[in-house]
Amino acid sequence: MNPKPEEPNPRAAALQAELDQVKRREAEFRANMVQEFLDRGERNTYLHTLREERVALIKRGQEASADIEYLVRKLEAEGERRAAVEAQLGGLWDSWSWKLTAPLRIVARLFSRGAAAGAPAGAEVEGAVFTYYLHTSPFRIYHEDAFTLRGWAFPEDGRQVTSVRAVVDARTFVGRHGLEEPEVIARYGAQPANPRPGFEIRFETPPGRHRLSLEAQLEGSEWRWIMRTSIWCEPKGP
Amino acid sequence: MTSSDANQRWSESTSTLGDRSEYKKVWNLQSQDPDVASLAVAGHMDEAKLELTAQSFIGTLRETVGLGPNDVVLEIGCGIARVGKPLSKECLHWFGADISGGMLAHAAARLSERPNTTLVELATVGLQEFPRDAFDLVYCTIVFMHLFEWDRYRYVEEAFRVLRPGGRCYFDNFPLDSEHGWKVFTEGARYPVDRRPAHISMASTREELGAYLRKAGFEDVRVRDLPNQLIAATGRKPG
Repeated sequence: MNPKPEEPNPRAAALQAELDQVKRREAEFRANMVQEFLDRGERNTYLHTLREERVALIKRGQEASADIEYLVRKLEAEGERRAAVEAQLGGLWDSWSWKLTAPLRIVARLFSRGAAAGAPAGAEVEGAVFTYYLHTSPFRIYHEDAFTLRGWAFPEDGRQVTSVRAVVDARTFVGRHGLEEPEVIARYGAQPANPRPGFEIRFETPPGRHRLSLEAQLEGSEWRWIMRTSIWCEPKGP
Repeated sequence: MTSSDANQRWSESTSTLGDRSEYKKVWNLQSQDPDVASLAVAGHMDEAKLELTAQSFIGTLRETVGLGPNDVVLEIGCGIARVGKPLSKECLHWFGADISGGMLAHAAARLSERPNTTLVELATVGLQEFPRDAFDLVYCTIVFMHLFEWDRYRYVEEAFRVLRPGGRCYFDNFPLDSEHGWKVFTEGARYPVDRRPAHISMASTREELGAYLRKAGFEDVRVRDLPNQLIAATGRKPG
């Protein structure tokens, strides 16, 4: 005799409960699988980002190489120009008119020496041995109107730096010195004459080729150059 | 924010029709403020009304494709999780996918109390972020009107891929021939040709929705007219 429909079958109910449990575990497995798949996707996205950054770095390296190549070509062109000018000068010095006007040039030199005495930046400065580092490298093609050179320096003979300046061709730009550089002191030991060897100089960079001389005044008297280089300034792009 | 302010900001955040395929841009622009986002996806900012319409939709899901406590569910175009928030109480795990990260940020705030939910920002049209054969139910509601036809079909195809064998799907849109559908259509027609917004609602036909599901491989395909003047296509993945 069949049981009445409303009477529960304990065995069927137990099987149904077991089946529900299996279905739930299977669904939980799928939900976790999706979650893990998404997590892996995020990791892939991170890898993708790293790869993109690598490509960008390679591109920057290539651009830097192009800049260097451009500079080398400019140097070569300047070298050729200089050789041509020297050849022209050689011809001029050998000429009759040059020899004739020699006394006039001697008088002119005497006058110009007197004017230069009050302008130390224009005077010839000798170099000295400095320990130094430049945080903002001056070795670049300048595209802006001005540039701020930051770094630190102290002379190896232990004298005190009392001022710093950048001389761009004949123009002088006085900077700030005495800036804290704790890492320098930690690395090189105490510098009694220069406990704060940091400096900062902002100088203008008009288009063209210039001679940059980074200079320090020692103990309030003589100026010595720290480093010198040619710089190239290009007009801003469009 | 007042309703008037929200409407003003919403209209300012809309893109032009030429950007319609730029779904991420279009919907991120409209998601910069919670109220504006709510207005953009639901047409109002009232939380009680959001809950009410969501419950009504859950009822529709239950009647058309069924809904069980062990279901792993995926919503395509979940927006601010209007439906996901209440629906997550009735399933094992709810996954909400949307192309707009801005919308998902609002959804995350609304779902902070719901541990069995996961939000996923889609990179582009499709469900490439999800594995195959994973879900019991995939649905997409009040989304197709904002998509081009090709993208509608793309989501149907993708739903087929991510559903487990025997899994169910649901897609809806408004038809042109209902009172509401014709109203939406004529309102859209009033825009100057060069000033139609990118999100402008566009109708589907019953044949179109049915064709998508059949072409994608679903069986037991049915297209229903719902009481709220939408049409819904449902199907089941063989297996």
